[in-house]
Amino acid sequence: MTKLALAIDKRRCIGCHTCANACKMQNNVPMGMPWNRVITEGCEVMDGAVGTYPNLTRSYLPLACQHCENAACERVCPTGATYKDEMGRVEIDYDKCIGCRMCMAACPYNARVFNWNEPTRDPDFNYGDSRVPVRPKGVAEKCTLCKERTDEGEAPMCVVCCPTRARIFGDLDDPQSQISQAIKAHNGYVLLEDYGTKPQVHYFN
Amino acid sequence: MTSLFKKPAFIVFCLLAIAGAGCWVYQLMNGLGVTGMNNSNSWGLYITMFMLFVGLSAGGLIVASSAHVFHIEPFKKVAVPAVIVSLVCICCAGIFVLVDLGGIARVWRIVTGPNLASPLLWDIVVITTYLVINVLDLVWLVKGDHRKVEVLSRVALPVAILVHSVTAWIFGLQIAKAWYSAIMAPIFVASACDSGLALLLVSLMILDKVGLFKLEDGLMQSLAGLLACFIAVDAFFIGCECLTMAYPGAHEAQALGIMVGGVTAPFFWVEILLGLLVPFCVLVFAKNRKNRKLVTVASVLVILGVFCKRVWLLFTSFVVPNVLGGPGITTGNSAALADPTATWTAYGAYAPTAPEIVIAVGVVSLGVAAAMALCHKLLGKADSQPAAAAQAEPAAA
Repeated sequence: MTKLALAIDKRRCIGCHTCANACKMQNNVPMGMPWNRVITEGCEVMDGAVGTYPNLTRSYLPLACQHCENAACERVCPTGATYKDEMGRVEIDYDKCIGCRMCMAACPYNARVFNWNEPTRDPDFNYGDSRVPVRPKGVAEKCTLCKERTDEGEAPMCVVCCPTRARIFGDLDDPQSQISQAIKAHNGYVLLEDYGTKPQVHYFN
Repeated sequence: MTSLFKKPAFIVFCLLAIAGAGCWVYQLMNGLGVTGMNNSNSWGLYITMFMLFVGLSAGGLIVASSAHVFHIEPFKKVAVPAVIVSLVCICCAGIFVLVDLGGIARVWRIVTGPNLASPLLWDIVVITTYLVINVLDLVWLVKGDHRKVEVLSRVALPVAILVHSVTAWIFGLQIAKAWYSAIMAPIFVASACDSGLALLLVSLMILDKVGLFKLEDGLMQSLAGLLACFIAVDAFFIGCECLTMAYPGAHEAQALGIMVGGVTAPFFWVEILLGLLVPFCVLVFAKNRKNRKLVTVASVLVILGVFCKRVWLLFTSFVVPNVLGGPGITTGNSAALADPTATWTAYGAYAPTAPEIVIAVGVVSLGVAAAMALCHKLLGKADSQPAAAAQAEPAAA
């Protein structure tokens, strides 16, 4: 079995949002609904800090679909539009999505965005990879782990473009892969482990 | 039917329904972005009303079918109006789910590729079953086919309980939210019983006023007494849930804090005080149960209270995202497109828009108009029907 995943080295993340923009350009993501966002932990604003001067800390958390092994969104989808594919990715069949948003309520990570309106793009054309399907209004979407790229053995665009090489892509089922080794060596953890969703995206400090 | 169109109230409800339909077309053309819903708060007024109407539908069918299952003779008299109320409410609930869908053109996918693990699928199945039962019940009641009604009632009662439980599970099985609680289904059944019975009482009062149905004092008093019991059970379940949330002072206490002192607090306290405490204190005294005005006011308060409960129940869970951090979540709605500074939100927020409210009012108006038409057609001639007349006679005596 293959279980594709990401590991994010938070020590290397500088909060530059390049991954978010690379994702947007690759996946033809419409205005105002990034699949991948970089949040500043413990703050309500971007690039804030935690603590009292001069004892301040700041850490970034790049956040997108966690490609959970036990995906809450997949379970609740009435039409099976959200599914777990054979490569271990959580994917959406847009033709089957009826826009009920059960998945959005189910996702503990707020990883999903919805096409509330006819999607708008600025500049006004489909700037994404031509292999990526264009989504209509009324469907949910989210990180696909760059399905179109990873299907052909390429790494996701966020991994390729990260200037500090904070992101590692690979197969969790292969103990020799760089991602498995890194998670093991650095005591990798997952977000909201208590919920038992078993995210495949790992973080380490 | 012709005289119905001379009634100003009926015309008004029809016009409101048409206005709602117009707004729905507008929503279909422009997407759900015309509502106040957004990525951080992805369900809104429609789902609130869906929960409310599934509940309102309960009272009617539960009273009508328990009358036949447990042979409660006096309750059999209200069977026809009760099933009409139940039928209309479940149709409204179904419509509210449909108007909430972003891709209604693809809704047939539920039939061709159902995911049996989805609580929404269970709900569609059980609501459809419930709808069929309501229609059959009404047809057989009007025909006076007693044997069939008796048998159907034995199926209808558990299905009525189930329809509210499954609706609760749409929320109660979501581990990511504060809804995740085993008491969700009992709470839904309890509030379905009290709001549904309250709506039935209000409907019977109105039918009595317009002379389509004779509501006997004795019957009204026993229904009002039953309502007091249902309110107490509802309050007990809410108390259990709040204590369980509060006691550890941990994770769930945050959601409780929002309920009792945060953005959804007005709805919580209106429900507790006006929706449970006041009507219970009124109805618990036999003397008050004889007063039609007081019973009507108490019933209206119960319905208002249950509406408020749906609001705090739904929205409290959307306020604080599980993974907190600035700048938060993108809203992705129309407001964000118009003003880029409204793109991000640290906490979930929601307010219904005008088209959304008009659609909701339209659906309710459609329901009221349909109920008026059905009552007019089925109750008006009830006296000439042998079965209904047989039931009505002891009432008149």
